[in-house]
Amino acid sequence: MAKNDPSAEPLIARDATYYRAPDALRSRIRASIAAQARREARPMMWRWGGMAAAFAAVGVLSWNVALMQASGFQEERLAHDVTTAHVRSLMMDTHLNDVASSDQHTVKPWFTGKLDFAPRVVDFAASGFTLIGGRLDYLNGRPVAALTYRHRLHVINVFQWPTPDAGDAAAQSSVQQGYSLVRWKKGGIEYWAISDVAGADLLALADLISRS
Amino acid sequence: MTSTARFEQVVLPHLDAAYNLARWLARNDHDAEDIVQEAFMRAVRYFDAMKGAEARPWLLAIVRNTGYSWLEKNRPSDLVSLDDVAPLSTESEGPGNPSGAEGNPEVILLQSANRKLVNQALEELPVSYREVIVMREIEDLTYKEIASIAGIPIGTVMSRLARGRELLKRAIENRMKKAS
Repeated sequence: MAKNDPSAEPLIARDATYYRAPDALRSRIRASIAAQARREARPMMWRWGGMAAAFAAVGVLSWNVALMQASGFQEERLAHDVTTAHVRSLMMDTHLNDVASSDQHTVKPWFTGKLDFAPRVVDFAASGFTLIGGRLDYLNGRPVAALTYRHRLHVINVFQWPTPDAGDAAAQSSVQQGYSLVRWKKGGIEYWAISDVAGADLLALADLISRS
Repeated sequence: MTSTARFEQVVLPHLDAAYNLARWLARNDHDAEDIVQEAFMRAVRYFDAMKGAEARPWLLAIVRNTGYSWLEKNRPSDLVSLDDVAPLSTESEGPGNPSGAEGNPEVILLQSANRKLVNQALEELPVSYREVIVMREIEDLTYKEIASIAGIPIGTVMSRLARGRELLKRAIENRMKKAS
């Protein structure tokens, strides 16, 4: 009889329990796989993008480092908070939009009475940025408007709140945890846009909003 | 992402196998869930490195590593080295001595032992014997797969299996004697 012949093995523990994964664990793991995929979506794009993308990434990163050094601690923390708010909005389906509509005339009035300012709500579906809704969020120590846009398969969050600074500020982009961020000030409102789209696409949306 | 879709298709179906191994390593539900969740996060991160490997042994190797790290940190006493286990005073020992499994009345008796008793006896085995028995008899992995998961030579898999079975058989018999 061959030593390795499994039929010759005494099966002592054959009747022991085969523990199956509980359903709750299964759903938790599915959710965290999805969250991790979103976190890593951008670095993966770089990996596949070849040399050109790698060089671009290095450029963006070093510029980002320079930007971080130049800007204060406050800006850095705000960028972090914006990123956290964006990720959280994506992790829970129900958290993305309090009002889900591509009609700016439905979304804009929804904010009335909920905020102490009138957010700028415009749909740019014709330019590839479809308004999908809005919600209230909390950033920079105050309630803010969060508008959501869809660009191809990507979700973009645009946060806005009133700023005491009188002057406008041109759009500046940066990268945080693999996400593209663009911030600018216009007409007494501070804007932060964030997504896993390319930085250039986000700048295009910033430009559309600024000129609207 | 396509990579995520592929992960869900290739690796996620082995969640039960992952949980079963983690549950037998940790010996309770709560810790097993923590280990499996942590192992899956690692698996997602290293999925690119899986290449053409078989998903189940690949995942189980990660679960085992995660489980051992967890035990080291939280229950180091569970990781007794093999030398600490009292030697068996038996002549029928070592690999390749299945002693005619099917016809052996002892084995038939053991097979009729109730599940709870087998579970308890298996839980009390030192982890290095327990894991090879779980992988071989409950998870039905080949010696080769067990060797690659546990990072030990096939010969060691076989000797640990033989000795583990011997220990387990005795533990069950003792429990049966006590019960009767």
